[in-house]
Amino acid sequence: MKKLLDTLPLVIFVTLIIVLFSFLSNEDNQLETVLIDESFPEFSLTSLTDTTKILAKSDISELPALINVWATWCIACKVEHPFLMKLKEESILPIYGLNYKDNRNKAIALLKADGDPFEFSIFDFEGRLAIDLGVYGAPETFFIDKSGVIRVRHVGVIDDKVWKEKFAKYLDE
Amino acid sequence: MNKILIISFICSISFGILSGAEQKFTFDKEAYSFDNIVQEELFYSLLVELRCPKCQSSNLSGSNSPISNDLKREVYELVIKEKSAEEIKAYLVERYGNFIIYNPPIEPATYILWFGPFLLIILSLGSIILYRRKQA
Repeated sequence: MKKLLDTLPLVIFVTLIIVLFSFLSNEDNQLETVLIDESFPEFSLTSLTDTTKILAKSDISELPALINVWATWCIACKVEHPFLMKLKEESILPIYGLNYKDNRNKAIALLKADGDPFEFSIFDFEGRLAIDLGVYGAPETFFIDKSGVIRVRHVGVIDDKVWKEKFAKYLDE
Repeated sequence: MNKILIISFICSISFGILSGAEQKFTFDKEAYSFDNIVQEELFYSLLVELRCPKCQSSNLSGSNSPISNDLKREVYELVIKEKSAEEIKAYLVERYGNFIIYNPPIEPATYILWFGPFLLIILSLGSIILYRRKQA
């Protein structure tokens, strides 16, 4: 019994170190998502390609769909761009862009040069809709089901693996 | 041995007090104008209390990241609309979760945050007493 008591502090110490280290390697840094199972927020913003066209929630008409937050200043968005193109080419589901705090001309030029995976892009220069979505960076991707409810939120690059693990199952619902 | 314990205890407490003491404003305060002093005080107290979602270890007043500036604007607009501190915080928690406030509510998900340290103190004091008794 005495021996056990003597080694107890060491055991506690080692467990604590292991637990704390496991938090360190948890690099995800994803904030909790509040909007899961809430309906997509209302908005009124211009279209990226047409300054006179005001877009609203009702324009996101083909559901289920992805909403992808992107910008030309976002390097990781370039990384995921080919995957979004693939989703479009294989007609998996429609993708709507949310162009976030960007330069309009640069953004249009990028879509011309690299291809445009989006049905349309919403131009959110001031980050208004982004705040309603709890966005804090780019890229971020939301999955909206056929009744307009947000089901998945992914912060960071979306690729084959992320698609299979987080998104694919909701598509078949 | 006893002295060392007491000294380290006092040190750990005073570090906690010191780290919360200093507040910096690293942004252009001129950009915000208010109708009255009440609004102004509410605005600056909220910036200290609200956390920057991008930088994760800084409050809004200490951060100049784009998202922080957007949130400052959002808070400013709500203050001007005469919203209360509680309403503004609720508005942001609705979008960013409890993470956004430095003073999270006491609820099951945050029990370990609020009571964990006290539990640790009780456990360690208990084991010290137990250990010393065994030795005596």
